Amino acid sequence: MLVSIDWIKEFVNINDTDSKALAEKFTLATAEVEGVILSGQHLTNMCVAEVIAIDKHPEADKLNLVTFKCFDNETRKVVCGASNVRVGLKTPFAPIGTVLPGGFELTPKKIRGVLSEGMLCSEEELGLKDSSEGIMELPQDASTGMNLAEYFQQTPDVILDIDNKSLTHRPDLWGHYGMAREFSAIYQEPLKNPFDEQWEKKWESQCNDLPSPVKVRFEGESAGLGYFGLTVEGITVGESPDWMRKRLESVGLRPINSIVDISNYVMLELGHPNHIFDRDMIKGDEVVIKTLDKNIEFQTLDEESRQLVSGDTVITDKSDVLVLAGIMGGLNSGVSSSTKSIFIEVANWKAADIRKTSSRLGLRTDSSQRFEKTLDSMQMKKTLLRILELVSELNPNAKVVGISQYDGEPLVDEELILSITPEKINSVLGVELETKEIIRILNSLDFKTELKEDSLSITVPSYRKTKDIECGDDIIEEVGRIVGYDNIPQKSPKLDVRPVRLNPAKVLHRKIQDFMSFHSTAYEVMTYPLIGQKLCAKSSWPLDNKLGLINALSKDHSIMRDSLVPSLLEAMAVNSKNFHNGRFFELGRRYLSDKKEFRKEVSTLGIVFFDKDKNVFNSLADNVDGLLRSLNITFQFSGKHPKFKNEAISEDWVGLHPHEFLNIQIMGKMKGVIFSVHPMVLKSFKIKGNVSIALIDIGHFENNLVKSKMKYRPLPKFPNSKFDLTVLASADTGLGDVLKAASKAKLKELENIEVFDVFTESDGKKAVTLRATFADPDRTLPPEVLNKAQELLISTLNKSGFILK
Amino acid sequence: MKDKLEKILNDFKDGLSSLTQQPQILKYKSEALGKNGQLSQILKSLKDLSNEERKAIGPLANQIKEQMNQLVTSKLKEIEVSEINKKLEQNKIDITDRLSNRSNVLCHGGLHPTNIIQREIEDIFLSMGFEVLDGPHIEDDYHNFEALNIPADHPARDMQDTFWFQTEDGIRKFLLRTHTSTIQVRGMKERKPPFRFIAPGKVFRCERTDASHEMVFHQLEGMMVGEDISIGHLIYFMKTVLKEIFKKDVEVRLRPGFFPFVEPGFELDIRCLICSGKGCSVCKQTGWVELLPCGMVHPRVLEAGGIDPEKYNGYAFGLGLDRLVMMRYGIDDIRHLHSADLRFISQFKDY
Repeated sequence: MLVSIDWIKEFVNINDTDSKALAEKFTLATAEVEGVILSGQHLTNMCVAEVIAIDKHPEADKLNLVTFKCFDNETRKVVCGASNVRVGLKTPFAPIGTVLPGGFELTPKKIRGVLSEGMLCSEEELGLKDSSEGIMELPQDASTGMNLAEYFQQTPDVILDIDNKSLTHRPDLWGHYGMAREFSAIYQEPLKNPFDEQWEKKWESQCNDLPSPVKVRFEGESAGLGYFGLTVEGITVGESPDWMRKRLESVGLRPINSIVDISNYVMLELGHPNHIFDRDMIKGDEVVIKTLDKNIEFQTLDEESRQLVSGDTVITDKSDVLVLAGIMGGLNSGVSSSTKSIFIEVANWKAADIRKTSSRLGLRTDSSQRFEKTLDSMQMKKTLLRILELVSELNPNAKVVGISQYDGEPLVDEELILSITPEKINSVLGVELETKEIIRILNSLDFKTELKEDSLSITVPSYRKTKDIECGDDIIEEVGRIVGYDNIPQKSPKLDVRPVRLNPAKVLHRKIQDFMSFHSTAYEVMTYPLIGQKLCAKSSWPLDNKLGLINALSKDHSIMRDSLVPSLLEAMAVNSKNFHNGRFFELGRRYLSDKKEFRKEVSTLGIVFFDKDKNVFNSLADNVDGLLRSLNITFQFSGKHPKFKNEAISEDWVGLHPHEFLNIQIMGKMKGVIFSVHPMVLKSFKIKGNVSIALIDIGHFENNLVKSKMKYRPLPKFPNSKFDLTVLASADTGLGDVLKAASKAKLKELENIEVFDVFTESDGKKAVTLRATFADPDRTLPPEVLNKAQELLISTLNKSGFILK
Repeated sequence: MKDKLEKILNDFKDGLSSLTQQPQILKYKSEALGKNGQLSQILKSLKDLSNEERKAIGPLANQIKEQMNQLVTSKLKEIEVSEINKKLEQNKIDITDRLSNRSNVLCHGGLHPTNIIQREIEDIFLSMGFEVLDGPHIEDDYHNFEALNIPADHPARDMQDTFWFQTEDGIRKFLLRTHTSTIQVRGMKERKPPFRFIAPGKVFRCERTDASHEMVFHQLEGMMVGEDISIGHLIYFMKTVLKEIFKKDVEVRLRPGFFPFVEPGFELDIRCLICSGKGCSVCKQTGWVELLPCGMVHPRVLEAGGIDPEKYNGYAFGLGLDRLVMMRYGIDDIRHLHSADLRFISQFKDY
């Protein structure tokens, strides 16, 4: 919203000449000033110049040295390239030091060796036109040397551009008078009140006994809270006076005609939108406020056809819809140059209803923007009378017909009295203000106060209580912002002594991140939790997630992912273009729909290893093995289980490699998986080489504090004994299976058995050398025990088909 | 006799110096020190000498023998070392061949830049006695709006473009949280004052993405509740935290800001770190940069959290993590953060 300081000064004295300081003060006390626009400042520096001589520039063909008279008949010279320059021409001159509207400051400058004392300006340079040719030609009767601001009859102004968002909760600040009240409190200058009771009486007395030509009637429930209507005859529509046009233009509104301009002017002044009809376009003798009972098409003032739906509140005459309530008038009933009598509407509407209709239509107007903030019904009458005042001023023959018509909720200002102690105000702010200072601040903001014992009884003005001020804490803010938060002394809160630690989940997440980064040399990535059907189709991923959005931004991000897999494949496709190999991981969430809780979010670790040449499955499995060990989790790797399905991935997914697949059983449940991605799926992503992925549902155990099982055992007092044996196995036998077979030998002396070496034999077999360690903590094992143990080990392996080589 | 002994030693030295092979040396040694060697002859002849001569020559001869042995030992060691060195020379490696110089990303790893900063900030708060909480991304209307004093028709809902979920009955009930403030009520309900906690995490806005807007981004919510907490405390506290985050003194200012869940509500600005307040493009010539919203917790929000607003009060604040990340590393496009592009991510390697 644009605020003209010149307009504000009509209601309050502001002597601050520094526009920057003014903006900062307002930002700190009330609402954010996003920009300061100085309008017309350059004109005060400039004057009307009369060209008296033109000489060729000695160094440049296209440039002239122009001599002219300006100010008090002073003679000056500038370098000028305009083709329309001629002796006798009157044109605007900007001396050195002038800042032109584009922000360009004139500094002493030599142009091709000749010093120029300023600039003769074009209309474009003065910001009067978007483009222009040559310097501006002023009429011959323009008085040479006259100040340009005077000539254009323009007072310099400071326009503050205030962030609308910071006014969301302040319906009272959507007009200049409300803004002026803030400046009055900030600068401690009294606020003028031209709209007092006497003024009200004066304009109310314009009403008369004549029958009112247009009556007002509410029909059923609607968005309407109250509606004033007043008919005025004897109107001549023309151009508004300069002062009004300039005010409107200064805050960004285009003047239209004297009646529409009054409507806008009063809205910008008092903050309450209104509407003026051409009386003769209203058929019948009443307007009805009601909701539509069917969908209709409606032509708004901006000549657009809008689709209104059943339930929208409208104002109708006996046959047609005239106005879309609180948002925009209709094309059919607007004021035109031939309008002779008018019907003035000043109404108030329910904020939520206006917002609903306006956002449905995508039509946000100056009017709807204000009604959305919940305006004060008590401001309606004042607004009506102010319109009447201006209409009378611009139309000497204007005559009110009858009295103002009203329907709606009874206009009673229900008092809101809040009670808070100065002590509480001081305590929350952290200051020590005297009670009389608190009272002064509140009074300057139009709050009435009464000190009852220790407590302040505060009457909230009607325009502040529609939404904004509701409780004692709201009063604290009013005092605080006017005192200035910069004036509050800073001090440390008094805190209790209490140990704080990261929770188990956080500790676990950090451990995983560190392990993956430092040990596994993998990079952490983030992908979108939202995915789309296109990605799923590409991944052949059977997404069956009910967690879909109503208002997704795009189809590619419209459903919550139920697995990290599609996102990781997409990430893989990006990286496959740039890297030969690599490793990355994401600690993210997958989202499952849940009958009872609607959703279940599961923390999941996804790890991707890829290499264009080498198989990476085993190195991934080794890293997962190391990770889970480092987390002190009970886990086990196993092949596909006939009965128990993996919970971390659907085993039916076609993207799974037929062989490279390991279940990870974590604390007894299939909560993890390691697999290679099937080449067919890789192909659809144009990924070449090998990609293996591990998924672990961290959520399964992240909240349990895992105790380390690490424990010291005394070093053995007696030597152990190592025994190597080589067995034959078919080439496709897993080493894990050989070890598993060996561990079936139930031997208390067998401390450890490991794979020592593997040879590939020529006959489709492999020779596996195992190293067994036998030990007894209490003695050196005697040969006969050792022999027996070795034999048992051999025969156990033999039973599983692994014959000693 | 003495001269003779010295000559034997000198001759031995001369002879030894020309030898380079281990067998030759061993042979030379056994010849010189063996039974038929000159020294042995002298030692044998000792018995023919007078007592006095024997006392003088005997130890000298033994000393020379010892010396000769040592010469051989050190000569042999010298040869062995030079032989090993020759082998080492053959197996010479390139000691300038660093993994980090190879075109292979497998040499490094690292955390996501957002998590680097998040962890850093978590630790700062932890050191000040704040717990670190987490909450669901898919929230209900109550925790995201209702409990935060944002009723159904409140204009504040205009400011937040919310992603809503489809439900069977078509009523908008579940959403993707639009701010981490959802954790306020969850956190309060599980605690008794005084307490303080932060909650970093992902938030979602239905907003077109561009270089500075993302539909998924990160915030950090903070809350402190106790008795007699004031705005003066809030300012002091935020200044202290920001000093830790930016690793230098930061000037802050509060100005009114509207957020329904705080009263009073503020926008906290910091003195521009780029121009120190003189005015530059980053601070739009104002000298101040809007950093975070904060305020005193609204009594209704305290009530929703089961806390008596007559007895306790407190403050809350929200920090945009992605902006801090982008500021710290000079990242020009927020979309990189969720790109999973290793060309971007690998710039933040830990080692």
